[in-house]
Amino acid sequence: MTQTNPPPAFQTIPVRTEVHIQRFTLGQRWEHAILFLCTIVLLLTGLPQKYRDASWSQYILSTPERVELVRQIHHIAALVLTALVIYHLGRAILLLARRRLPGNMLISWQDIRDAWKMTKHLLFLSKEKPVYGKYNFEQKVTYWFIFFGVGIMVVTGFVLWFPEMWTRFLPGGIIPAALLAHSTEASVAAVFIVIWHLFHVLIERLNLSMFTGWLNAEDMRTHHLLEYQRLGGDNPDNSDTGDSQ
Amino acid sequence: MARFEFRRGWLTVSLACIFTILIAFGIATSARAQDQTQDTEAYCLGCHGNPDLSMELPSGETLSLYISPDTLSHSVHSPLGIECQACHTEITTYPHLELAAQNQRELSLAFYEACAKCHSDNYDKAQDSVHAQVAAAGNQAAPICTDCHGAHDVQPPDQPRTEISTTCGECHSAISEEYLTSIHGEALVQEDNPDVPVCTDCHGVHNIQDPRTSQFRIESPEMCAGCHADAELMAKYGLSADVYSLYNLSWHGVDVSVYKANWPTIWHESAVCTDCHGVHNMRATDDPASSVNPANLLSTCQKCHPGVGPNWTGAWTGHNQISLERTPFVYYTDAFYATFAPLVLWGSVIYVVLKILHMLIDRTRRSLR
Repeated sequence: MTQTNPPPAFQTIPVRTEVHIQRFTLGQRWEHAILFLCTIVLLLTGLPQKYRDASWSQYILSTPERVELVRQIHHIAALVLTALVIYHLGRAILLLARRRLPGNMLISWQDIRDAWKMTKHLLFLSKEKPVYGKYNFEQKVTYWFIFFGVGIMVVTGFVLWFPEMWTRFLPGGIIPAALLAHSTEASVAAVFIVIWHLFHVLIERLNLSMFTGWLNAEDMRTHHLLEYQRLGGDNPDNSDTGDSQ
Repeated sequence: MARFEFRRGWLTVSLACIFTILIAFGIATSARAQDQTQDTEAYCLGCHGNPDLSMELPSGETLSLYISPDTLSHSVHSPLGIECQACHTEITTYPHLELAAQNQRELSLAFYEACAKCHSDNYDKAQDSVHAQVAAAGNQAAPICTDCHGAHDVQPPDQPRTEISTTCGECHSAISEEYLTSIHGEALVQEDNPDVPVCTDCHGVHNIQDPRTSQFRIESPEMCAGCHADAELMAKYGLSADVYSLYNLSWHGVDVSVYKANWPTIWHESAVCTDCHGVHNMRATDDPASSVNPANLLSTCQKCHPGVGPNWTGAWTGHNQISLERTPFVYYTDAFYATFAPLVLWGSVIYVVLKILHMLIDRTRRSLR
């Protein structure tokens, strides 16, 4: 789109207007920022506890006091994350009660069809690419994986924090199970975020709309055509909405 | 007296003869062998074979000077030709030198040093022991070689093996009695079992360390593992040899291994084997008196986790592999992640790789067009 060559003489330079469409509200961006920070802190303080034999872990956990400190930081970050979860769920329930919860993050049959279509496209079995609404199936997978992942981490985390209290009314066997789940889920989630989420928002295309709140109309049209049309954007004539810049 | 002088003269003459002959033939025998082989026993027993021979020490104690020829001849040394003067090097003549010792104990403390002449390795080891530390702190009762091994009646210390626990029990009587009620002690006494540990198997022989230090505590699971992780030995008694490796995966075990690796000198309360099984009185888990018998397990846990409810014992997976029967929650969690983790991770890796390949192929095609 950007013109790099100098324009020929006597030709008017076309005025390029860039339209930005709001994608995330300030509240959502704050939620993401807090989730992001909490995840970093929890991983930095949790993984050394899991991989205690590793030399980098012993570098961090060099004294018993350090272990205690790292655990305290882990607990504080966990409380912040728990507050975020309560806010997120509370807000969703409130919106649901007012019948104003947007359903566009819910997984539908269309997502399964999109995923199938995309897989065929990636395998060169079909030229056709799926067109998406506000959230494509990849983004929904990210959201729901993290949704349940955080849920597992919060629940098992509190079980491990207060094991003596929980076993007053729950069977003791949940303690080692919670330890296994907390530890495994953390690694799976960390690897998943790096492979899946970071690939999609940083490598495939740089998409910082979660931080800026805005997505330009061109990206919107290319990657979220149905949402673009719903918002009243122009109707492009073809389905070739590939990666062409 | 005249008889003694005569015999001494005769002895001197014969020794001189032997010595001259040895020199003449240029036979170089080792110094140690010369020291040990001294035909002094019969000579000394001439007086010391008298059961009534005794003297009074400055402390007022009566010191018997009688050495039973029978005891002496059945000790390990005498039949090997290691006789009186091998140890009593300061006694070369009669009358003997005046004793400097004020009491019997001082006498023993002065004489036992002779053991180091031949047994220097074990003597040096003993100098590193907690017993030597106690002695250095001024406790004269701290054991020296002869307290455990005997002086004139030295016998192989481990024949039979019960002899070892009996010897230690002479001072450590309460612990010895406790040990004898344990599964190890019972098997030792009742069947002279060669596999069960006696005191020295866990505490060491000569360089016995203080078992109350954090270092000893933190290393103790490894010590138990010496036998309890030995599959062949455990199979003999129908015991699991995985107890140690599974302990190492448990909350306690991970904690302990970190302290062992990084801060062995810092005291840490995380449970080691003996905290639950008992120190000297460990019993089989199906013994109703065992501290880890299901009937007693909760109160054993409550030693460190006061006030926990009856469900708490279920949190301890024991030394068991993950199984549906014993640990269903862990089993299902494990089964879930065994499927979920590879599914999600491989799924996303494959998808992302496909996307990258597609992008590269697309770009190449466009540039060739």
